[in-house]
Amino acid sequence: MNNMNRNTARKLLAVFAHPDDETFICGGTLAKYAAEGADITLVSATRGEMGRRMGNPPYLNRETIAAAREHELREACDCLGIRELIFLDIRDKTVEFTDEESLTARIEDLIRDINPDAVLTFHERLGGHPDHCAIGKATKAAFSRAGRKDGLYYISFGDMMAVPERFGYTRSDIVKINVSEHLEAKLAAFRAHRCQSEIDEWVWLPDAEALARFGMHEYFIKTELAAPLVNDDDLFQSEDSGAVFAFES
Amino acid sequence: MKKIDRMQVEAELRKFAGGPAFIHSEATSYVFVRNFKVEVTDAFIAGEGNGPYRAALRFDGHGWLRMESLTHYEIDDQGRLLLAGFDDRGRMDVALHLGKEPFPE
Repeated sequence: MNNMNRNTARKLLAVFAHPDDETFICGGTLAKYAAEGADITLVSATRGEMGRRMGNPPYLNRETIAAAREHELREACDCLGIRELIFLDIRDKTVEFTDEESLTARIEDLIRDINPDAVLTFHERLGGHPDHCAIGKATKAAFSRAGRKDGLYYISFGDMMAVPERFGYTRSDIVKINVSEHLEAKLAAFRAHRCQSEIDEWVWLPDAEALARFGMHEYFIKTELAAPLVNDDDLFQSEDSGAVFAFES
Repeated sequence: MKKIDRMQVEAELRKFAGGPAFIHSEATSYVFVRNFKVEVTDAFIAGEGNGPYRAALRFDGHGWLRMESLTHYEIDDQGRLLLAGFDDRGRMDVALHLGKEPFPE
């Protein structure tokens, strides 16, 4: 990649817990921004090696699953257009028991190094799994310690945030991304996570039928400290942040 | 992994009796223990027909480990005995692994 492209690309950092979080929860959004030229770095705290799903019929065991899930995640990243993948090498199901200070420091270093325009992570209460909540909490703290206020978003499941009031939020806290043009990439990534998605018959239906199962939108929650949203349909609030870098280069 | 052949697994389990072993044990939705080291004194497998099977270890002269719902096994390329129980949709319910060396942390 030449300097011009690197300098003009907007940067997105996603800090999640398990391989497949990026695809199953917000794969359409990641595919959309990748297609628009964003530089996306995905951090996975674990390799998801303690999961129950091992393929259907099972083709993995507890000792082979870590390498297989890493391989499947790399393939999913290719489907979505994610170019950088970083593992934190924490054992699945133990993120909340990992030293919080060092975990936060590692993520802070990444935020300072990458200097992303937007960061995605889990909500520390609504994450739905202890590993999710723990990585979300650490990422929120790291973002703040890196001196950042705007640009951190919590991912959310399905269309739960279509009615944010149920969770103590209002519409003004929610970014709603139209992913309808990027569902093919999302489906391809679902299928790349074969050991996890094989049990879900709908994923393997003919494409048109499988694609019909996806929602057209993915929802993100603005963090409490961030300024009011300028755009409620875009994670990059400053339209010309990329252009500023281009101008400087 | 292959479906458990009780005679085959019994023979493999017995290879671990009378010496130290590292154990990975889990009831997948509830608990896992990785790398506890024990002196295996006896190792058993029980169950009728096509299973599922039950396995048990006696260790350190005063300990028991017992597990049920085992369906599959494998001797991996490092000579470790991997036992697992899957449901009818491929989801792991239980696992019991025995190795002579620690499992990767």
